[in-house]
Amino acid sequence: MKRKVFLGAIVWTLLITVVHISLNIGWTELSKQVEVMRGERREELIVGFLPVT
Amino acid sequence: MTEHSEEGTFFKSRKFTDWPTVKEALIAKEIGGVFILAPMAMQLVADGIPIKVVYLGHRDGTAIVVGKDSEIHDFSDLAGKVVAIPSRYANQNVLMHRMMRQWGMAPDSIELRELPPPEHPIALQSGSIDAYIVGEPFAAKAEVDGYGRVLYQTKDIWKDFISCVLVVRDDLIEDDRELIQELVSGIAKSGMWLDEDPAHRMDAAEIAAKNYYFQSPELLKHVLSKPVDRVKYTRLTPLREDFNEIMTLAHEIGVLSREVDFEEYADDSFALAASKEPWALERLPRGEAAEAEQ
Repeated sequence: MKRKVFLGAIVWTLLITVVHISLNIGWTELSKQVEVMRGERREELIVGFLPVT
Repeated sequence: MTEHSEEGTFFKSRKFTDWPTVKEALIAKEIGGVFILAPMAMQLVADGIPIKVVYLGHRDGTAIVVGKDSEIHDFSDLAGKVVAIPSRYANQNVLMHRMMRQWGMAPDSIELRELPPPEHPIALQSGSIDAYIVGEPFAAKAEVDGYGRVLYQTKDIWKDFISCVLVVRDDLIEDDRELIQELVSGIAKSGMWLDEDPAHRMDAAEIAAKNYYFQSPELLKHVLSKPVDRVKYTRLTPLREDFNEIMTLAHEIGVLSREVDFEEYADDSFALAASKEPWALERLPRGEAAEAEQ
């Protein structure tokens, strides 16, 4: 029983994590962040402009 | 010009054409920050968008332009006329109301018409408006093309006029202060370089005309040199007294839905830190060397 609960918790956590990444972060963004953390990619910041002055 | 900063970060620009899209992009975290009109930044905060003004885009760099042979010779001559403004959320709109008060004119004595900035010079030339107030290079366009005359430069009617401000998302300020500091310091450094030597402005005009504005280099050179203080790129720390004046006026004329405290929409810590950094301006190449780095 304990084993079932433990496995169930792991599966649930994994499922929630996958859904969170898909809906809130995006796999492309996550992979970019990992590459930045590993030093394989430069950090990137997009700055917009609205030419209405 | 390089693709990345000295620290290695890529700073990319993205052009927007309307305000709702900017709002959505900030909420969706598609962009880290944006250069927008000062009263617009205040209204975004009033609407609950978590952003802060961290730096100014420039000071001055706006003019009221009339037809070359127009009989408008001072502000009172604009009574009963149609004047184009870039947006109701532009500080140019606030300035027009400020001027009307100073000249003892009723708030509706001038018809203010919202028009996209690139259309201002054409509208003046066609006679559909009598004057316009806009940021450069569109103010200089009519002057350089020979059918417009500058009635007032903002430097002569509202000293150190603020038009555009840099806002960034609150979550970036909390989670990645170093990145925002790098951005602000880089812009500050560019401004120092521009204001250090008029020759640098000519180099910048060539680069910006080709890569960003898609305007003639001669027009940008005119903007950056005639006179040289037509637009300034130093003293760009957001100052409470400047913003309080804009906020109060904008609220009084109905542009802002509510009053917003300076702390709610501004964070001057990055600008203050940037102002204390040592500069190595000689490391920035000029002319052909700058071209070679592209």
